[in-house]
Amino acid sequence: MTRHALKPLVGATLAAISLCSGGFASAQDAYLIGVSGAMTGSAAATYAPVVESMRAYIDHINSKGGINGRQVKLVISDNQGEASKAAADAKKLLTQDKVLMLVNASLSSTYAPMVAEAKRANVPVFYAGAVCPKETYPPADPLQFCSTAFGAQYDSQMALATVKEMAKEPVRIGFSAMAIPLSRGEIDYAEGLSKTMGMTPVDKQIVPPPTPDYTPFATKLKDANPNWVYSWAPWVTQVRTLESLRRLGWNGRYIAYAHLNAEDELARLKDNEFYVFGTNAFFQDNLPIQAELRAVMHRAKLNYPITQLSEGYIAGLVLEAALKGAGWPTTAAKVQASMSNLKVDTKGLRGGPIEWTRDNHFRTKQHYRVYKWDTSKGAITRVKDWTAVEVK
Amino acid sequence: MQLVVNIAVLASIYALISCGYVLIYRVSRVLSLAHGELMMLGAYGLVTTASLFAAQPGVAVAAAGLLAAATGALVYWVLMRRMTGEAVLAAVLATIALGILLRGAMVLIWSAQVQHPARMLGFDNPVVALPGGARLSTISLLLVGMNALVYLALWWFLTRTRYGIAMRAAGQNPRLAAQRGINLHAVYALAWGIAVFTGGLTGILIACDAGLDATMATIGLKAFPAALVGGLDSLVGALCGAVIVATAEVLLIHYVDPLLSDVVPFLVLTAMLIVRPWGLFGSREELDRV
Repeated sequence: MTRHALKPLVGATLAAISLCSGGFASAQDAYLIGVSGAMTGSAAATYAPVVESMRAYIDHINSKGGINGRQVKLVISDNQGEASKAAADAKKLLTQDKVLMLVNASLSSTYAPMVAEAKRANVPVFYAGAVCPKETYPPADPLQFCSTAFGAQYDSQMALATVKEMAKEPVRIGFSAMAIPLSRGEIDYAEGLSKTMGMTPVDKQIVPPPTPDYTPFATKLKDANPNWVYSWAPWVTQVRTLESLRRLGWNGRYIAYAHLNAEDELARLKDNEFYVFGTNAFFQDNLPIQAELRAVMHRAKLNYPITQLSEGYIAGLVLEAALKGAGWPTTAAKVQASMSNLKVDTKGLRGGPIEWTRDNHFRTKQHYRVYKWDTSKGAITRVKDWTAVEVK
Repeated sequence: MQLVVNIAVLASIYALISCGYVLIYRVSRVLSLAHGELMMLGAYGLVTTASLFAAQPGVAVAAAGLLAAATGALVYWVLMRRMTGEAVLAAVLATIALGILLRGAMVLIWSAQVQHPARMLGFDNPVVALPGGARLSTISLLLVGMNALVYLALWWFLTRTRYGIAMRAAGQNPRLAAQRGINLHAVYALAWGIAVFTGGLTGILIACDAGLDATMATIGLKAFPAALVGGLDSLVGALCGAVIVATAEVLLIHYVDPLLSDVVPFLVLTAMLIVRPWGLFGSREELDRV
């Protein structure tokens, strides 16, 4: 290579260095938040909308001047729901990007490596849309926080309480879970709880993901003759088990967790005896905050149904409140301190505020609603309005 | 009776997927580990054609089928053709890379959301009641029928048509086939086209029955043991392997533990590898090549 030919290369390198140093300079003037999410892979349908809507909310905040006069920069990595990739993401985000907080929006298998890295660096981990680990329940781990709607054990307590309230006859209950630790653990807990509540558990189907045909599992469940079935699993398992049961002629009542796509899916299925319970308000409420959310997402041109974007929006609200409380200039320790004493008004997107204390990084009260499709009205109806469950 | 129907449906799914593995391997000696992704691509093809021809479901399905076949031929022409003469492992690795690429691309193009192509086409998939009290969805019934049709059509094609016989010849002895004037690249491309068409058809039917999401590719991998149990170079073997694996899976779910369904195909495969490593209908010579 001649010296002449090297000139453009040297120029390009110098330009790149100059751009990079400019980038670093601007990053130091902004709140840097690291996000590792399952943006692709088998779990992407659940987590990608959360990350995208959180990003859209942060962009919205930045367009209004940022937080404490500073921009917020999200450094987003795709871990594809794999623990090894999450570990690499966490290491890179903490050592190279020097983020103030790690956000996890992925499968529970990615938690351990990310938390291990975060503990080494003493940086808080915020679970957004990812299921809340027990470490966020009282007495909480000082570094782990969670705003995700669903919560193990509290959900089953709510579901079975609803079943008990609604059942006029003795309850023979069947269970359906996905063969992943979290779902199985919750359904095992629910099975035990049902006995203490005077119900008769008749069968439990643990369905491995992915399954080409749910009918063999549903056949066994139906043969046990339950009058209620409870499922706490990713939406695909919940709904495909129900659909298979209906095809087999089972006419009982089915209750499941209202994941992000529940509102759209109730309208698709039009099943009068399918109940969903959850902590996010449906968009049929037409709240002012939902109108604002619509506008923000419209500007961001997101390719997801609006009904699936509230979880990420709430995560954005929490992030905003945490950084506001941390002030500027800030450190990871200040962010953690702010998160340990936080109250976020969800403006109706949830039944109450998200409140974190020193010992409780989940929320002090979990509010649930129960919905179903009403065939006579041709619309989704509210079976049970906001019901608060104390988190102790 | 319901158990028999469940076995028939699951066996049909596995058999339809397996015939793609077998066709490609039998003709071009390549083990395609991108078959699950190509099957999923066929289903996403229907999502696209359904949005274009929502009022004409037949046209949408036919267009998706043709797209799948064309994709198969294209994969051979653009990627696998260049693997000719390379080590078998290189070709297998190329299909793995293709699978990873396709998985990422499909999420980028169609998002990770669950899609319901049957609903887009206005088909509500009613339940069919069979004698003996068994019930299944219309699309599941169609899947069983389509499986029978595909295998019959493949038997007729491979034994009664010029291209089918050329395909068998190319699979048996490529050098001799080439010397007899058979265009090997055209035959291989045709095999890939048919294999991806049958895979795509399975993807389309599963997507219409239960919805479509990014996990479908893994279903393709679950059918792989069926192909190996039957013998990787035998279509009859693929059919028998699918029935054996599906029977074991459904019966164990019902009588033992549903969790076993995930490991059953591989348990059956392990047992077969110990007793008869070349599969039920596979030829012993092929084993050395694998």
